[in-house]
Amino acid sequence: MSDALLQVRGIGISFGGLKAVQDFSLSLPRGGLYGLIGPNGAGKTTAFNLLTGVYQAQSGTVELDGRRIERLKPHEIAHAGLSRTFQNIRLFGELSVLDNVMLACHCRGRHTLLGTVLRLSRFVRQEAAMRRRATSLLELFGLARLADEQAKSLPYGDQRRLEICRALATEPKVLLLDEPAAGMNPSEKKSLAASIRDIRDRFAMTILLIEHDMGLVMDICEQITVLDYGVTIAQGPPRQVQQDPRVIEAYLGEPAKA
Amino acid sequence: MQSLADNLAHQPARGVRDRVLAQAPWGVALLVALVVHFVLGPVLGPYWSQVATQAAIAVMLAVSLNIVNGYTGQFSIGHAGFAAVGGFTGAAVSYYGALALWGGATKQEGFLVPGEWLMVGGSLLGAVLAAGLGYIVGLPALRLRGDYLAIVTLGFGEIVRVLLQISGPQLFEADDLRSSGFKQWFPPPLGGAQGFTGVPTYASLFWVGLFAALVCIVAYRIKFSSPGRALLSSREDEIAARAMGVNLARYKVRAFVLAAALAGLAGGLYAHTGVVMQPREAGFIKSFEIIIFVVLGGLGSISGVVLAAIGLTVLPEILRDPQRLIEAWGLLAAVGVLATVGGVAMRRSGSRWAPLAVGLGATALGLLAVALVASGANALMRSATGDPQANIGKYRMIFYSLMLIGAMLLRPQGLMGVREVWDHFRRARPAPGRPGGAAT
Ligand SMILES: Nc1ncnc2c1ncn2[C@@H]1O[C@H](COP(=O)(O)OP(=O)(O)OP(=O)(O)O)[C@@H](O)[C@H]1O
Ligand SMILES: [Mg+2]
Repeated sequence: MSDALLQVRGIGISFGGLKAVQDFSLSLPRGGLYGLIGPNGAGKTTAFNLLTGVYQAQSGTVELDGRRIERLKPHEIAHAGLSRTFQNIRLFGELSVLDNVMLACHCRGRHTLLGTVLRLSRFVRQEAAMRRRATSLLELFGLARLADEQAKSLPYGDQRRLEICRALATEPKVLLLDEPAAGMNPSEKKSLAASIRDIRDRFAMTILLIEHDMGLVMDICEQITVLDYGVTIAQGPPRQVQQDPRVIEAYLGEPAKA
Repeated sequence: MQSLADNLAHQPARGVRDRVLAQAPWGVALLVALVVHFVLGPVLGPYWSQVATQAAIAVMLAVSLNIVNGYTGQFSIGHAGFAAVGGFTGAAVSYYGALALWGGATKQEGFLVPGEWLMVGGSLLGAVLAAGLGYIVGLPALRLRGDYLAIVTLGFGEIVRVLLQISGPQLFEADDLRSSGFKQWFPPPLGGAQGFTGVPTYASLFWVGLFAALVCIVAYRIKFSSPGRALLSSREDEIAARAMGVNLARYKVRAFVLAAALAGLAGGLYAHTGVVMQPREAGFIKSFEIIIFVVLGGLGSISGVVLAAIGLTVLPEILRDPQRLIEAWGLLAAVGVLATVGGVAMRRSGSRWAPLAVGLGATALGLLAVALVASGANALMRSATGDPQANIGKYRMIFYSLMLIGAMLLRPQGLMGVREVWDHFRRARPAPGRPGGAAT
């Protein structure tokens, strides 16, 4: 038994003949900020989908804070303390920004039909607590003034930050970020990097980050895992990974074969 | 960042005043029902009272279906099946109960007579049965993706219809009931293809008004709550909703069961409006009418769905007999012109209620216009066919379908979208998820 908060051992999945992720392992310590990189189609998002239960792993185990989660359903995994953002933004577009975050608070609450319909004290107080919590999270991300807007009407960068905000609202132990900086301009990226660091420090959060922007990854991540064709080709601190010949080969677009 | 539990711990306790205020809407519903019954009823007269009764039941059916088709984005097309389950349960309880208790099913005159309570009990039993069937039907279907629910509910409605058709003949006499054995009760004596008749007409404006208001309050409080957000989020994006910890299967089943129960309740009242309960009440055509209310009103919008249900219940009556409205042309014209002119003036002065006044005026003038056109059309049809009863009301399904096509082309989100009517009078802001204080 290791002291890692998220311990992944040899998970994998294939779609038909395509081995999208093979033998993926990772040991993420409490408070760690790790990166997951690789060329397009390398299997990074698929790895997230395996961890969060969108796909069932065909092999391997996932342990979150000592608890096996690889057979749980997605909502159970969220309850267990693993939350994520989506590469292709998946906000609740018709709902307000505030409601998006409040919905994510839902999983830490207790709900009864009777309490809801009769507006019993427990319900009213919990609803107020959710609103307070959601509002302070929005403030943290500079989104509070947009609280009443429909999520789909937000500019792109704000939608990405709202995704992070929503994921945090579930009170996760580990946060998975799937290309949070995609489509942002350099100055937005810079402030995003600062907020990711800030989240880690302030909430003592443990973070796994997928990102294409090498500068950003190398800058903020302590350890990096590199995927190519579903296979882990390198794992280590940024400097070491950067100089790994197999990584360079994969990124230079040679038809590399692991 | 504090956790939700910390936030909750710091949340002040709720005072007695707030607790009482939170239950105020139930009292208001009772008051409204009393006013409708004792003030509006006599004003409307027997004919329009009957129309209003049917409109209230349509509201209950539409608002309950909206919980499934509107909030969760599932597609149920067997809602009438659940209403029929409640309807025939209510009818049987009331009729046979009256035979057993009082020796006959003649209507007892008065307000809140024992027979009415039998109706309420029977309707509630119908709601429970419908909920149970909803659970059996919904549990397997909702675990699967998308279209399965539509197919399964379609099948459910048709099965109910066929079962009702092969049910046993109705027992009309107290003596028959007393001497009945297993043979009379299996299949249950629900009238078969002839239908079930003679249920006393206890569904007064008071009862339908009260229950329609209660259903609306329940639907509203669910929509603007944490569980309501869970339902709405599933219609927006199922994968994201799950990833945020929403147990979608459980919520969908609960929503479906609740909707079935409320439909059963509505059906129970419907059986007491003087109709002959026919097996076709369970069929697809009936379900389709309810779907039209929900789609036209706006999937998810309670007020939109209520308006659509009322409008589409009243409209065929106007088409059938426009003369009644034309006789009231003075009132309609006066209200129409005054409200429209007033509304325009209000807009000048920047009042946010201007659209409401203009809407009221336009509705009154529109009603008059519809009545005049329908009157002309009916006269044409009568002279062409030689049938003095001919009217364009018979073709209402054609108008509905055209309206549906028009709405899909012009306003695919329905009259209101997911928003409520009053949201359109506020500054632009998305509707869901705002419990407007303790008393709402
Ligand atoms: N549900 C699926 N069915 C079949 N193939 C899939 C499925 N999901 C992913 N794949 C395939 O698995 C491979 C890995 O995809 P994945 O989305 O994980 O890549 P990625 O590393 O996130 O790439 P990108 O940087 O473009 O986001 C791709 O070839 C993709 O086509
Ligand atoms: Mg990806």
